[in-house]
Amino acid sequence: MNPSTELSPAGAVAAVPAPERASLAPLASRFAMIAVLIGLVVLASILYPGFLAPANLRDLLLQNTAVGIVALGMTFVIISGGFDLSVGATYALGATVSAGVAISTGSPVAGIVAAVLAGLVCGVANGILVARVGINPFVATLGSASVISGVAYLYSSSAPFIVSDADFKILARSSVAGVPTPILVLVVTFVIGGIALAMTRYGRNIYAVGGNHEAGWLSGLRVKDLTASVYVLTGVLAAFAGTIDASRLGVGQADVGANIALDAIAIVIVGGTSLRGGEGAVWRSAVGLLIFATLTNLFYSLNLSQNWQLIAKGTIVLLAVALDSWSRNRRS
Amino acid sequence: MSDTNTPAIACRGARKVFGGAVAVAGADLVVRAGEVHALVGENGAGKSTLLGMVSGRLGADGGTVEVFGHRMHGGNPRESRERGLVAVYQELTMVPGLTAEANVFLGQVRTRHGLLDGRAMRRRYLELCAELEIDVPPTALARDLSVSQQQMLEIMRGIESNGRVLVLDEPTAALAEHERDTLYRILRRLTARGTTIVFVSHNLDEVLDLSDTITVLRDGHVVRSAPRGEWTKPTLIEHMVGRTVDRLAERGTHPFGAEVLAARGVRLPGVLHDIDVTVRAGEIVGLWGLVGSGRTTFLRSLAGAEPASSGELRLLGEPVPWPRSVRQAVGRGVVMVPESRKQALVLGMDGTSNYWLGRGGRRIFLDRRTERVEAGETADFFAFKRSRIGEPVRNLSGGNQQKVLLAKWAGHEPDVFLIDEPTRGIDIGAKAEVLTSLVRLAAEGAAVVVTSSELEEVLAIANRLLVFAHGSVVREIPSDDPEFNVDAVVRHGFSTGETHEPVH
Repeated sequence: MNPSTELSPAGAVAAVPAPERASLAPLASRFAMIAVLIGLVVLASILYPGFLAPANLRDLLLQNTAVGIVALGMTFVIISGGFDLSVGATYALGATVSAGVAISTGSPVAGIVAAVLAGLVCGVANGILVARVGINPFVATLGSASVISGVAYLYSSSAPFIVSDADFKILARSSVAGVPTPILVLVVTFVIGGIALAMTRYGRNIYAVGGNHEAGWLSGLRVKDLTASVYVLTGVLAAFAGTIDASRLGVGQADVGANIALDAIAIVIVGGTSLRGGEGAVWRSAVGLLIFATLTNLFYSLNLSQNWQLIAKGTIVLLAVALDSWSRNRRS
Repeated sequence: MSDTNTPAIACRGARKVFGGAVAVAGADLVVRAGEVHALVGENGAGKSTLLGMVSGRLGADGGTVEVFGHRMHGGNPRESRERGLVAVYQELTMVPGLTAEANVFLGQVRTRHGLLDGRAMRRRYLELCAELEIDVPPTALARDLSVSQQQMLEIMRGIESNGRVLVLDEPTAALAEHERDTLYRILRRLTARGTTIVFVSHNLDEVLDLSDTITVLRDGHVVRSAPRGEWTKPTLIEHMVGRTVDRLAERGTHPFGAEVLAARGVRLPGVLHDIDVTVRAGEIVGLWGLVGSGRTTFLRSLAGAEPASSGELRLLGEPVPWPRSVRQAVGRGVVMVPESRKQALVLGMDGTSNYWLGRGGRRIFLDRRTERVEAGETADFFAFKRSRIGEPVRNLSGGNQQKVLLAKWAGHEPDVFLIDEPTRGIDIGAKAEVLTSLVRLAAEGAAVVVTSSELEEVLAIANRLLVFAHGSVVREIPSDDPEFNVDAVVRHGFSTGETHEPVH
């Protein structure tokens, strides 16, 4: 994998002839996951002829919109060299707050705004814990996950908020020019996220913080603020994903999102973003998301049990991480 | 096992290359069993690398390394350990949460009926303490012990594993005066029991005091290996420094401008003591000193990278607050080109991105084309091939990485350049280009402060040299002073403070 060309597609067409070792092997591993995705799609359409039907593809994306949005935030966190285990709890908080506030104020918009603000607070808290206090991201977000989850249960008195207002479902159930709104939201956030990471100064600074913390600091970057910012972004995205889910079901409850954190991390890793930070891309997470979505869809349509699905997903994640370690060890 | 004629260590043509830079270029070294053998040389002469090959931590790229007649394959410290060779590195290998006793028996516990035999281990621990005249309570936690005490435990651990050869890399560098005496005493006890000792040291007095044989290394070669009786302090220095120095670069002849940087009373508790420096526009001031003399820390303090430091600072004649962060210093036109390229560059990014890291004003979106052009132009100044600026820095040689790093900071158009070890580990051609470009920077009006452990290189381009020792400037030598030569500078650098001769 060649991270710099990842940063700059234009770099590939520079006048320099590529050095001989940059021939086929790195290219193959760079696009390996796209090949996996294509293979999976082919396999799926053979095993399940209805796979490529528009209705099926739409369902496939709709079911994975929420986790996809969370995975986008997670991409930023992992590239910055961090980790966020609290997204599941923030997602649940977003779902409960959006439904709860929509009921108490009678305004679905107020619900969404409140949920996003709640996510912002969670993200700022995580950012302070990791960047300022200096707690290991794994531990910090494991702890904050428990706190956030507790707050969501307290707020909802451990009961689901059932929203009767039909407008509440507009976010998830409406469509624009035939495309369901959530899918549109997913695509737009990925495009914005991709541009932010690959083409802006902010994005490059995130790569620098994850790739070499010390170099970033010595270059005069605000390393702590940059580190904190990715948690804020992820918190907001996770809460927003929760509101989409609540809107789809018309219900906001605190016990959703148990698998979100691990699924989102898996999506990012499977796409080929390195767990060690400094390398990766948003398009990789998009590929990872599609791989996961295809797999889930395939398992459902073949009526295979949830248990097999767990085993298959876990195996793929481990393979992706092993590939990452292997290619790194070979390089050093 | 081995008769007395088999040398404890024998290297023939041992060679080690790190990514193109030759660290040890075919060294021959024989350490007789039972002797105390010292390795001396300037920073970067290859001493630690040679020790690494002997201890099995590094594999030789050429030649042979033998321990008690056994040819080492390298890459595995276990191999030499099985031959009775024990290495004590500068970074100690204690488990902080375990007791002193547990650390000594780490990986070699005594057992009885399959259970730990606490009584036998305590008896043996006290025995070792008595034998080596060490006084460390067995139940003390390693994290509560001083560096010196941990080092003693490390030596005890080596003896417990039947070590016959003890290899020590700068064992006294981190020790206080009285702790050194204790270590010397322990080493003498070990010699008395027949243990072979090989050590690296910068302290020539202790080398002459302790050793039976002294080997001098320079630029990866063994210059001379001879019995203690044939050496004196001056001859050691002469061999370490060498006589033949090629002219790598020419000092600038341009006139100086006004004072750009003036720092007074720079201090960092325990490291720097009251250092003053002034640099004028167009001037190159060299800093030289041994490892641990404080020259790099001083540079980092000026650059805002040592927040605990303090002092008074005047830039372009205006008093400014002491910098507390790199960001502040950069904002006032003071930049540091750090020592370690691995630390200072994001290796996975290309040259252009590294060049622009940390600046670019208010623009949000990147303009790759413009960025590439400017990065290329600046890199050109440092004799960097413009066409390679788009390559990941990881793929570049050390010399080219250094040029990217210099360009990156030159791009800030600063008033003051603080440059740490610009030529470490790069080939001779790149060295000349880098040094020449520093002279050109000064000629264009920058104030340049440069440190290097390669003294000849600093002397070649500097207009003034500050000699550091023990966190102070012991000497300031202008380039027209008769003392502006390698011998005199090294003599001052090795001065211990108390024996330091008065001026003139």
